Amino acid sequence: MENNIKKSSTFYSYCVNPQTKFDTQEDGEKVYLLLRSHPFTQIGWIMSSILFFIILFISNFFLQNFFNPGQIFIINLFFIVIIFSYIWFNILNWYFNVGIITSKRVIDIDFYAVLYKEITNAQLGRIEDTTVKSGGYIESFFDYGSIFVQTAGTEANVEFIDVPHPSDAVQIINKLLSKKHGF
Amino acid sequence: MDFKDIIFKVIILLASVFYYLYALVISKQVKIMNKTLEDEHNKFILFVTSLQVTASLIILIIVLLSIFFL
Repeated sequence: MENNIKKSSTFYSYCVNPQTKFDTQEDGEKVYLLLRSHPFTQIGWIMSSILFFIILFISNFFLQNFFNPGQIFIINLFFIVIIFSYIWFNILNWYFNVGIITSKRVIDIDFYAVLYKEITNAQLGRIEDTTVKSGGYIESFFDYGSIFVQTAGTEANVEFIDVPHPSDAVQIINKLLSKKHGF
Repeated sequence: MDFKDIIFKVIILLASVFYYLYALVISKQVKIMNKTLEDEHNKFILFVTSLQVTASLIILIIVLLSIFFL
């Protein structure tokens, strides 16, 4: 697996052979690939944060008419801290929602709104099909898309949404599957 | 002290208490997330989260002081 096409790139969202461990990792299970959402998909909250700072700056001109300087200081302090908390919350959301491809399985770790945890995994031997969905100008330009791993029977399917270099990631899964099935 | 000032102080006190509780919940959850996924940046994430809790506590103190002095 050392001869992969892409090396670790795209701001920690596509990490080949990372030094990562996860809580359900088995002995001898090696992590080959760690995926996060492409940084471009985070543009929404980044732009919102900038907009909030602009709104706060502009609102200071009007606040002077209603509050005294001490109160304006408290209001500014609150809003700045809330904006930074919003940024940090989104960074955590992005950082801990990962897809992991190991020597034994494919795992999707999701934290919804930081508070709810969901871990889905598919053993390599149970994988039936992998699909890549990528379309549109932006996804093509930045080379990101979604990977759907279909498993046999009633086992849950695994999805990696908006990950960078999806074709390369699927290639890695296919190589592992070939190795597993001895092709 | 007029009615507007009292309302303002009640609102900022409630907001700072809620923000402190929020920061505590987030820090607890970050510890769980760090256990779930151990990575090279975990220490930095824990550091920033503890900064958030500290900031929320400082804000709570500032708000309590401002209630008496503003």
